[in-house]
Amino acid sequence: MPLQMSSSTEGKTARLNLAGELDATSAPSVRNALEHVLAGQPESLVLSVENLTFMASAGLRILIFAKQKQPGLKIYLLKPQETVVETLKKTGFYQSVYIVDREEEMKA
Amino acid sequence: MKKQTFPGTLDALEPIRKYVEASALSAGLDRKVVYKLCLAVDEIATNVVLHGYEEAGLSGDLKIESSMEDDRFVVLLEDSGRPYDPNVHTVFQAEFDQPLESRKIGGLGIFLARDGVDELQYSATGNANVHRFIVRLSQT
Repeated sequence: MPLQMSSSTEGKTARLNLAGELDATSAPSVRNALEHVLAGQPESLVLSVENLTFMASAGLRILIFAKQKQPGLKIYLLKPQETVVETLKKTGFYQSVYIVDREEEMKA
Repeated sequence: MKKQTFPGTLDALEPIRKYVEASALSAGLDRKVVYKLCLAVDEIATNVVLHGYEEAGLSGDLKIESSMEDDRFVVLLEDSGRPYDPNVHTVFQAEFDQPLESRKIGGLGIFLARDGVDELQYSATGNANVHRFIVRLSQT
């Protein structure tokens, strides 16, 4: 399924909703959207990925981009699918992002 | 499953994943194993398109085929771009302990490709590069 994406910013929290498949084809548009929301210097980035069914390394590189563009940014992945979590774990990304099942779990 | 041919561009990634998913599921592979295999093929196909074709100023096709060989499910991905052997690229797994702020962006795709299958073979003959992705059924 092609990637579907929307973004928003509320206070110091930027949010990207991603559904479908994130691969090398769709990654540039996500990176553009990310650059746009990071311009507002948010403290937190919430990636809502409950319906993200596939994530290639292009998705991992977007996380690196976000952290290198804005060190100190807290990145939350909201409800990632098990296969995506597996990829994050085996590549060491698990320790640099927060995996949460509910928005209330995000630290202020 | 019957061989299919796609233009060697990034637009081929999704249909290639669909092909791998359908053929692997019909061979009886577990869903998680199928996901890892799709990821492995996707990463190599991406590298072929970006490095083997675009970066080298070449164009060509991506041919994909799958078959059962005894207790192994095998996917073949063939291209005619600049040769690119995933097994000669070093993946620095020590990097994986580093925080993202200081991580390098290279090597992740190759790591996921190798990790996603039991064996990843590469051969170059004449103008054809062939990647073989092998999954043993006994483990699924």
